[in-house]
Amino acid sequence: MIYLDHGATSFPKPAPVAAAAARAMKTCANPGRGGHKPAMEAAKTVFACRERAGKMFDCEPEQVVFTSNCTHGLNIAIRTLVKPGDPVVISGFEHNAVVRPLYGLGGDIRVAGRRLFDPEDTIASFEKALQKGVKAAVFTHISNVFGYILPIDELSRLCREYEVPFVIDAAQSAGSVPVQLQKTGADFIAMPGHKGLLGPQGTGLLLCRRDPEPLLYGGTGSLSKSRKMPDFLPDRLEAGTVNVPGIAGLERGMALAQQKMAQSHAAAIRETVRCAEGLKKMGLRVFSGEGQSGTVSFVPEGDCEALAERLGKAGIAVRAGLHCAPLAHESAGTLQTGTVRVSYGHDAAPWQTEALLTQLKTFLRR
Amino acid sequence: MKYCLITFRSVTPAQRGDSLLRKAGISCTLGRTPRPMEEQGCGYSLRLRPVDGARAAGILRQHQIPFRKVYLWSENNPPEEMLV
Repeated sequence: MIYLDHGATSFPKPAPVAAAAARAMKTCANPGRGGHKPAMEAAKTVFACRERAGKMFDCEPEQVVFTSNCTHGLNIAIRTLVKPGDPVVISGFEHNAVVRPLYGLGGDIRVAGRRLFDPEDTIASFEKALQKGVKAAVFTHISNVFGYILPIDELSRLCREYEVPFVIDAAQSAGSVPVQLQKTGADFIAMPGHKGLLGPQGTGLLLCRRDPEPLLYGGTGSLSKSRKMPDFLPDRLEAGTVNVPGIAGLERGMALAQQKMAQSHAAAIRETVRCAEGLKKMGLRVFSGEGQSGTVSFVPEGDCEALAERLGKAGIAVRAGLHCAPLAHESAGTLQTGTVRVSYGHDAAPWQTEALLTQLKTFLRR
Repeated sequence: MKYCLITFRSVTPAQRGDSLLRKAGISCTLGRTPRPMEEQGCGYSLRLRPVDGARAAGILRQHQIPFRKVYLWSENNPPEEMLV
């Protein structure tokens, strides 16, 4: 199998990740829920991951909250900052993980910056929207459909300048490019643990720079006499037992991702460029440009899903459809067709691109 | 045998404290807070030599690690709060 669907999740997981998760299931009990050896081993395992995340993402370990995925973290962040009717600015490339919570809350959603691979337009549109007075801003770091790397440093600076609290969705960037909580000044950064960070599915992180509102209420292993949730992090957001095997695997995944991040990202970009060029030569409609990560989308002549299915049968895994981001497709004009998305991972290599292009040429000849 | 016990409201700050004190060369053990010193339920504490108590508290304050109290304690006697 040639796996080119790392935008959905990294696969297969590195052996040390699986080993750490398996070991945790044999050695770890419930963290923060006892003083016996297996409980303390669990606490140690969880803290090791928190500490690593703090170093990797420029924050204190207490500011790192474990979530079950990126969407979970985004829901906490959005529900903390946005109340019904509040005007909120988002980019034109947001995933439903941002759009649906805002819509569900009854936020007044204002979309800014709909031009692909045009950071100047993104910045100018955001500034215009921020000037009109909004309560919060939410933007993705990298579009999951098109790989467009948004100018988050400039967007963050603008939000700070206009004193608008903001959330960064690092679903596609964490583990691929540097993500920094203090440097950006973001109120929250949400990310999955299972994509660029190479951890198991069902893991995620929320980095917090402000006091959040809990989404879940319950036992935290602390202040147990009180009926209120603790007012300190990470306990305030970690009701119930956390995913200890997942966190153990995530810690190993983060270590591996960090080691080869710059090199892997450069290789993924290189392959994306080669892939885009090859697809264009076949006369396909390809979305590529400056500031593109390891993801490229294209529209074939016929049905996207049918093509992805044929590729799957030929042993090449790509994703077709709307990729849970109809807003991004609306911006790019592909809402009706969807796209086929090729997304490279830490193992990006020329032979993967060659195999994909060769297979596609075969299909197009028939 | 007498111990110095630094209490925390939750396991994470206790773990940060543990990590910082070890880096500073202070030997300590992380565990549950014994009942006589537990005020709000389910806290954790660091157990260390009484002679290290004041220095440890200083390091925790310097790094803004929130701890509750510092006690001098032996299993058969009531705890005494140390004013550090």
